[in-house]
Amino acid sequence: MNRFTLAALAAAALAFGAPAAAQEAAAAPGAAPQQTPEEKKKLEEQIAKELGVSPAAPALPPAEGAPPGITAPGVPEQTPGGAPAPPQAVQGQVGGNPFARLMMLPDISAIGDFAGVYDSRDTGNESPRSGPVSAPHQLTPVFQELELGIQSVIDPYARADIFISFEPSGVSVEEAYMTTLALPFGLQARAGKFYSPFGRLNQQHPHVWDFVDAPLALDRLVSASQLGGPGVDVAWLAPLPWFAEFHLFGQTTTPAFEDKEQRTLGGRVLQYFDVGDAAALGVGLSAARIEEPVFGSWRDLGGADVHLKLRPPWTRSYLVLQGEAFVRRLTAPSVPDQTDWGGYAQALWRDGPYFAYGARYDFAPAFQNGRIGIVQVDGTEHRLSAIASWFPSEFQKVRLQGAWDRLPGGQNGLELILQLEFVIGAHGAHPF
Amino acid sequence: MNRILLLATALLAPLHARAALDVVTTTQGLAALAQEVGGERVKVQSLSRGIQDPHFVDANPTLAVKLRNADLLVDVGLDLEIGWLPPLVNQSRNPDIQPTGSRRFTAASVVSVLEVPRGPVDRSMGDLHPAGNPHFLSDPRCARKVAEGLARKLTSLDAGGAATYQKRLADFERRLDADEARWRAEWAPVRGRKVIPYHNSWIYFLDWAGLQGAGYLEPKPGVPPPPSHLAELVGVAKAQGVKAILVENFYDRKSADVVARHSGAKVMMLPGDVGGTPQAKSYEAWVDQLVQLVSGAVR
Repeated sequence: MNRFTLAALAAAALAFGAPAAAQEAAAAPGAAPQQTPEEKKKLEEQIAKELGVSPAAPALPPAEGAPPGITAPGVPEQTPGGAPAPPQAVQGQVGGNPFARLMMLPDISAIGDFAGVYDSRDTGNESPRSGPVSAPHQLTPVFQELELGIQSVIDPYARADIFISFEPSGVSVEEAYMTTLALPFGLQARAGKFYSPFGRLNQQHPHVWDFVDAPLALDRLVSASQLGGPGVDVAWLAPLPWFAEFHLFGQTTTPAFEDKEQRTLGGRVLQYFDVGDAAALGVGLSAARIEEPVFGSWRDLGGADVHLKLRPPWTRSYLVLQGEAFVRRLTAPSVPDQTDWGGYAQALWRDGPYFAYGARYDFAPAFQNGRIGIVQVDGTEHRLSAIASWFPSEFQKVRLQGAWDRLPGGQNGLELILQLEFVIGAHGAHPF
Repeated sequence: MNRILLLATALLAPLHARAALDVVTTTQGLAALAQEVGGERVKVQSLSRGIQDPHFVDANPTLAVKLRNADLLVDVGLDLEIGWLPPLVNQSRNPDIQPTGSRRFTAASVVSVLEVPRGPVDRSMGDLHPAGNPHFLSDPRCARKVAEGLARKLTSLDAGGAATYQKRLADFERRLDADEARWRAEWAPVRGRKVIPYHNSWIYFLDWAGLQGAGYLEPKPGVPPPPSHLAELVGVAKAQGVKAILVENFYDRKSADVVARHSGAKVMMLPGDVGGTPQAKSYEAWVDQLVQLVSGAVR
């Protein structure tokens, strides 16, 4: 029943939302020349009734013939009714199209990340993190990840994006989700396995990050493998003159330093504004409530993110200022609440097509990997990182990142990472 | 239940109903053509500007807001906008402007495309466009085809405006006829002269103008020229009497200046599209400026 309601709704939205639709029909041969939108709507309701509520798919009315002289032969244009003419239709090719199978292939891409890492101390135990680490004073080659991307539209109503991650620890489905393309009222839904729309970096694949590794706060307060999991995300684009998107999501996720998936409910507001001709400002607020294994216990996450990109339109150089703050509160019956903070602020200067330079400061609660596993210890860890990136082409990059890390006891650590990344195949463009 | 929802939809509908068709184009050149054909029946906005490299526009979400209510999205196609348009279209919540949607017009679909690869292609050949060369709008013959296609598309979306679109298209083509007579006179004395473009983006224009390309500053599309390639070009330029190096004004002119200094050719910084210079206000003004600059340089 719901589905029927939705179908009728979408059909109605189409009829109303598109004032020209009636005129299309008017132009079709055999249709009454003066059919008004009201008449068309009436007729549509009548037809819906006769069919016992439209069983047809919502967005595509039945095809109507192209008005004579409107579509040139061989021109891959839509007929006004919406039925697509085959693209690039060449008439009369002997034996048909030999590339038919190839044309149906989804976009397939592979992205490889490899690094050489040097740490001046036992970072893996003294400062556990998701980024690559080495044993003390041992320059170590590390295979980080190979990401296989498979992306395509499914049908006229939805698309699918699948990312399979091969890592030293094994193979996992990083993300695999469907995104609707044809919901009415500015709604868009995703279903499947995906990174939670919580903050900015959490949703991006690591190869999109401006730095080689995640800020410590994302690892320790949100999730070391980025917060995500199976579930549903519904996003509403508000009918405002700027970009304002509201997310509600329900997933099972694996939060920081948990090994079991937990039920999660969250939301996010993301807004983008044009600031003059040469700048775009994005601000986001996120919240999530995650069940804890002990009954009546909760883990609440909050996040605020800012993203400012300054780029005069005529150049490929730009400056990005970006920061996020994360807060985590643990509540349990008969135990005092515990609240922790962390965050980062970074600047990246992209100097033309081939080079970029960045600096980042981040801080997070200190953790250690001891005999009983990874535990939080008193105090805050601070880190300063700098990065220089070289992009020989759009499809590979070499990055050198240095980081100076200060643990609560006053211990310092130096880390150097040289990373190589390449992409082959058709990898879908990333959101801003 | 259904009835309530239908009623709600009906109440929301007037918000969307407008007199003018909301046309969004990816480039300013396409916007200029849509404005020529649509006149007052359309409200046209472009997602990028003529001073921008159309390959590298930011997928700023505020652009998705423009697409949300678009009655028609006009793009160049041939993967020119592959790096930024798809995420915007997916964010827009407008199913009809998806690549095969009823409110999408891809200009390349009505143009006879050059440099369609016949054999296998890969990225060792640079960042090329595997579907063919998308830089066709500076050729008035292609612009006519696109304007005609736009008139057909606008008519199919707004049959009430059929007469207007036909009349405005005819007006535009008449003006182009007069322009072209003038432009042909400019080209006649310089036919066959050689130029070196920066990127492979003037092939249609050179074909129309009767000029010849003697090479490109980029050794492969999107690949920066190493000194060895520039030295080779200097030799080519001297041997073949190349008069001008054509560079869109969003590119860095350093390597062009080097070749010019050693070969005696002139560097012409050109508007890449309508809006690329303050003078290039309309399609005709843009091509007129291109003709003046290039014919002057190769004379």
